[in-house]
Parts: sequence; C-alpha cells; structure tokens
Amino acid sequence: MTSIKIRRELGGCFFAALAYIATTWVCVWLLKHPLIEAGLVVRAAVSLIPMIPIGFAIGAVLRLVRAGDELERRIDLEALAIAAVAVGMAALTLNVLMDAQVIEIAAHDATVWIFPALLLTYVAAKIWARSRYQ
Amino acid sequence: MNNRIRELRGNQGWSQAELADRLDVSRQTVNAIETGKYDPSLPLAFAIARLFGETIETLFNPDA
Repeated sequence: MTSIKIRRELGGCFFAALAYIATTWVCVWLLKHPLIEAGLVVRAAVSLIPMIPIGFAIGAVLRLVRAGDELERRIDLEALAIAAVAVGMAALTLNVLMDAQVIEIAAHDATVWIFPALLLTYVAAKIWARSRYQ
Repeated sequence: MNNRIRELRGNQGWSQAELADRLDVSRQTVNAIETGKYDPSLPLAFAIARLFGETIETLFNPDA
C-alpha cells in the first residue's frame, strides 16, 4: 500500500521536474532571443516563471514524504541532514579555496551546481541510510 | 529491541508483505522491526499488538 502511494507521488515529482526543465528552457530561450533587449521588469518577470513549477515540485515532494511510513521518513530525514551539512560545508570549503586562489570557479557555475550536488548527495546518503535498516 | 513479531506472523501464515499491508507500512519497515534494527513508534507498536491480539509488553522485550 505504502509503496504504491510512494510510486504515485514519485510520478508527481517527475512531472514537476519535467515542467521545471521545460519552463526554464523556454524562459532562457525567450531571454536570449525575442526578449534580449526587453526592459528589466519584463526580463525579471520571465526569469521568475520557473517558480511556478517549483511550487508544484514542493507540493509533490511534500506529498511524497507524507506518503512514506515512519521508517521511510526517518531514512529521508537522515539522508537530508547528511546532504544539507555535506553540501553546505563543501560550499564553504570551496569558498575558502577560492579566497586562497587555489581554485577558480565562476560564481554562476558554482550556484548552478549546488542543487544537483544536493540531490546527488541526498540519493547517496539515502542508499546508505536505507542499508542500515536492512 | 527483541520482539516476537516474526513468530506471530509465522503462526498466522502471513508474509512480511501481507503484514506490511495490514499495518499500512512498507515491507522494509516490517523487516527492520522483526530484525530489531528499528524500534516502532508507540502508535505502530499498538497497531501491531492489536493486530495479533497481544499487549505491547508481551510483544517487545526491551531488556534483550
């Protein structure tokens, strides 16, 4: 029963992610082509359109977490805690390395990689956390 | 924490998946409870005890 609910909510997350990717792609294309010389307000408004599917994604993730039972929620909490601390500390370490001019990464590139890094660390941490209860 | 859930489930002839369905939890959760790797919350412990017609004290042994 629980796994059926989780599978259904995972589908919702997948569609929200697809909607986000599609909306972002369209917005970037609009900003680079027809709206390249548009005013600041128009460009800001178009840039913020992907916030709509992000809202759906938040709802989908919330339903996904609520569909799980108490052990699944504990595993999610452990995985999220590990991912948040690991990625946060890695970002701070990266900042120190950039200050020391050991490495050079453009701020734009660094911000783009935060969410994928968080997601990948969460998945890896979840696999580890789940293995502890098997 | 040791418990008698595997024994009682066996007596009923239920699989872990069947017990999970009856408790509305995942099979992984049933397995983790049976092997003592996860201690259920009080509401879930009561649900398990009610399902088998036992009390929590006779199901779970915190000293073992």
